[in-house]
Amino acid sequence: MDKSAIAGRTGKAQGLQLCKVCGNYSQQAMHPHHCPFCLNEISQREKNSLQKTWALLITAIIFIFPANLYPITYLLKNSTLYPDTIFSGILSLVDSGMQGIALIVFIASIVVPFVKIIALSVIAFSVQYGWNVNPKKQLLAFYLVDWIGKWSILDLFVISIMVAIFDKGQLLSVYPGIAATSFTIVVITTLFAANSFDTRLIWDAQTDE
Amino acid sequence: MVSHVPKIAKGYVAKCIRCESLLYKNISCNPSAVLALCLAALILIVPAFYYPLISIHLLGTTEQTNLLRGALMMIDNAPVVAFIVLFCAVIAPTILISSIALSSACLTFNYHPGYLPKILKITYVIMHWSMLEVYMVSLMVAVFKLMNYAELHFGVGFYFFIALLLLNLTIINNYSHHSYWEKYING
Repeated sequence: MDKSAIAGRTGKAQGLQLCKVCGNYSQQAMHPHHCPFCLNEISQREKNSLQKTWALLITAIIFIFPANLYPITYLLKNSTLYPDTIFSGILSLVDSGMQGIALIVFIASIVVPFVKIIALSVIAFSVQYGWNVNPKKQLLAFYLVDWIGKWSILDLFVISIMVAIFDKGQLLSVYPGIAATSFTIVVITTLFAANSFDTRLIWDAQTDE
Repeated sequence: MVSHVPKIAKGYVAKCIRCESLLYKNISCNPSAVLALCLAALILIVPAFYYPLISIHLLGTTEQTNLLRGALMMIDNAPVVAFIVLFCAVIAPTILISSIALSSACLTFNYHPGYLPKILKITYVIMHWSMLEVYMVSLMVAVFKLMNYAELHFGVGFYFFIALLLLNLTIINNYSHHSYWEKYING
């Protein structure tokens, strides 16, 4: 097991594999399926990483349209229904003089999902077709996407608070719309897409050239 | 890429020779201290989720809301949204703190049951999904939005929630996945 690993060369070239869960390395030939230390599943690279990332990204791209075009919340006021899309909600925040809050919501619900999808697509494309993009920049972009990812859930939490506060039946109520579900799917699929992407593929694509 | 990690002094970090990502951080990780923090957090979870976070004067009545209510009210209209809100704000943080508490307890009392690797794995997976800090910012956004409509007060749950959030951050800072595995494997 402790066959000396040579620093400065990839583990893949030396027939070694790293366990994602416990962080120990072992020889691929001796332990083809399970990590000898923690018994979790192991492989040299995450299996079908690129396919999974693509599948989830495409789902996100499909659902981002209904998420932005359909109403995300309905305000029921004196028996009249006022629909609000993500963008019209932000505009009404600007109109009522809350630019700071509008900016936070704009970044969390519009900028972050789009940036995530675009950045992950560029990284996945450059891995698949061996584009000549600086690997360190790709990794930096990936870490950024990974870190900002969870902040796009902000709008969903705000909706849940609003729904609970405005609960007066026909007089004054808030209901989530179709876009709320679509937006949730976008957030979840992009989070999973980032999770299923194996960053080492970026470097594998470089050495293949 | 294989990197050689030398013995490093406390507080220093080892970085990958290829991509300069963090490989190893030598922090003093004390399972018994983490266990104490987790138990405190588990006690705080109940009032933080149960007591009202904010109350608002609206149409002559006072409306209160807690963390669970908003999610539960959406189950009929938007089950997916309700589930995700519930999962990220309530279920995941609870599982995370419980699993860290359990693994810390095992290591503190030098007891190595067969399910410990599973618990460490659950901790690793669920860490991404615990979003208490995002909920805090959402709450502030909601508060600013609501200030235009009506008079608003923070409830008891709000202070419990802040305490829980701070404890949660301290736990995550003091918990080291790597050294827990090392402790488990080395007995």
